[in-house]
Amino acid sequence: MTDTVGITALIPPELVYACRHSPIDVNNIVPTSSINPRSKLCAWTAVWRDEIMEGQLDIDSLVVVAGGDCHNALVDGQKVALSGIPTHYFFYPFDRDPDYMASQLEGLAGFLGGIKDKEMFSNISGLKEKGLALDQLRVDDRARASDVFSALISFGDMQGDPAAFEEVLDSIPRTDVEYSSRVALIGVPPIYPDFHEVAESFGLHVVYDELPYEFVRLCGKDLQGLAGSYRNYSFSGPVTGRIDIIRQELDRRRVDGVIHYTQFACHHTLEDEIFRAHLDYPVLTVQGDLPRPSSEQLKLRLEAFSEMMEVMP
Amino acid sequence: MITGLDVGSTTAKIIRLDSGKLTASKVVPSHRWKELLEYGNTRNTIATAEAIGTVETPGTIQTTGTTQTMRNAQTIVSTGYFRKTVPHTAAITEITAASLGVRYYIPDAQVIVDVGGQDTKVIDLRNNTFLINDKCSAGTGAFLELAAHYFDIPVESLGKLHTRAKRTARINNTCGVFAISEMISQLVGGYTMEEVICGIHQAFARRIAQMIPPVETVVLIGGTVLNTGIVESFESIHGSTVVLPPSPQTVNALGAALYGEKLRPGQ
Repeated sequence: MTDTVGITALIPPELVYACRHSPIDVNNIVPTSSINPRSKLCAWTAVWRDEIMEGQLDIDSLVVVAGGDCHNALVDGQKVALSGIPTHYFFYPFDRDPDYMASQLEGLAGFLGGIKDKEMFSNISGLKEKGLALDQLRVDDRARASDVFSALISFGDMQGDPAAFEEVLDSIPRTDVEYSSRVALIGVPPIYPDFHEVAESFGLHVVYDELPYEFVRLCGKDLQGLAGSYRNYSFSGPVTGRIDIIRQELDRRRVDGVIHYTQFACHHTLEDEIFRAHLDYPVLTVQGDLPRPSSEQLKLRLEAFSEMMEVMP
Repeated sequence: MITGLDVGSTTAKIIRLDSGKLTASKVVPSHRWKELLEYGNTRNTIATAEAIGTVETPGTIQTTGTTQTMRNAQTIVSTGYFRKTVPHTAAITEITAASLGVRYYIPDAQVIVDVGGQDTKVIDLRNNTFLINDKCSAGTGAFLELAAHYFDIPVESLGKLHTRAKRTARINNTCGVFAISEMISQLVGGYTMEEVICGIHQAFARRIAQMIPPVETVVLIGGTVLNTGIVESFESIHGSTVVLPPSPQTVNALGAALYGEKLRPGQ
């Protein structure tokens, strides 16, 4: 029987499918959620917590990425566990140790009942190649960033159905894009559901979405392959590793400026000063809290950032 | 003729440039911004705000949905909170306007601090980055309005009263609401109104100083910096050399007009 497995951050979706279960990234419902969390630090975790505990998000079990990415999820995940949902805690190795990574993946496979369909590894790997090709399309100005972002962010769970998701990928329109500046979006994804559309309205072409790129960059065709790849999940290790990847992508994608999205009460916000010091590009830092359409304050910042890159020498 | 129109949260400012020469400037409360469109308009090519409607592209005006070409139409570049709702040929943000306006007077300016009525912006021209504080009143003109309202005095008198203080009442809170409670406590403790105002200016300056990157010279602009108590407090707390352009309150309107010159050179 296929269970619906909630996941709170990136874990290999191919492993969940290989265990013949269907993953659902609980974050994907947050930007359009109307829930006002009862108690919260970060709204991302608080909203999915309440969605699950109030029965508005139907899952059979939950995998909490409790180490190496989101610290608030460790507590909010335990609240879900106490409500009776079977919950597993997954930890990335900060030191990128491949053996530790493999042991965590084995533990996850055990929680999910064991690997039953090894073909899913190569099936998902093929989908990720399509994702990388789609990502390159927007780098080459042949697809809208908002369309590409919505596709890439779905690689965390393949929308629960890899075959149907492949059709979604194939339907992304190819179109020539006009813009005034090329920008990278680093940090956790914006909690504003219309962020990319708003950026586009000010002439900003987002050619790099840091976190969704990790979703397609990492893959493997067996458990050892997954361990070797996912141990390099950039958000889970030292920030210097992230900076190396970001720099490489900023150069490859020929960006004019960087937007660092920070989430209120997220520990990643503390990294802003580091990025500003180590990235030799104009940097705009924006912050969101509750899921809402983009605020006027955010629009002013995006408009001003676009103007500064275009008008100021 | 090029017009720079800056309609902010508290005041509206206009600058007119004729062949690159500044011919007029004026400041009125924001709600009276329409008066500015007639001020100094010697060519009289455009009558009133109601008649002009919204100018959408250079040389064209839009009135009630009909776009028509207007010969000799003046170029209006707007900025400020109301930039998209007042008549304009082009609208630019206050950040761009401030950058252009300040560089006109101070070509080698590095960091600009624009203290507005509702927010404060720090613009680092060295790397085209900026910060905006608009989540609380601390470090904005609204904070000083609160203090002036408590003492029932005009906000314009704060700078003069500051000079009469013999000592400074320490105000730790930069939250506008809590600062009032602290002001009352200091008055109860024997400090004079002037000394409490001095403390308020220092709390204000500390809040702004936290937003500024390391730099030797800071350019202060915005109506609030006409308050000499703020400038003096900022200089002593931040430790940088402070420079004020000749008209710190209208420099964004000037920046908007200069942007208009780029659109229509020679006007």
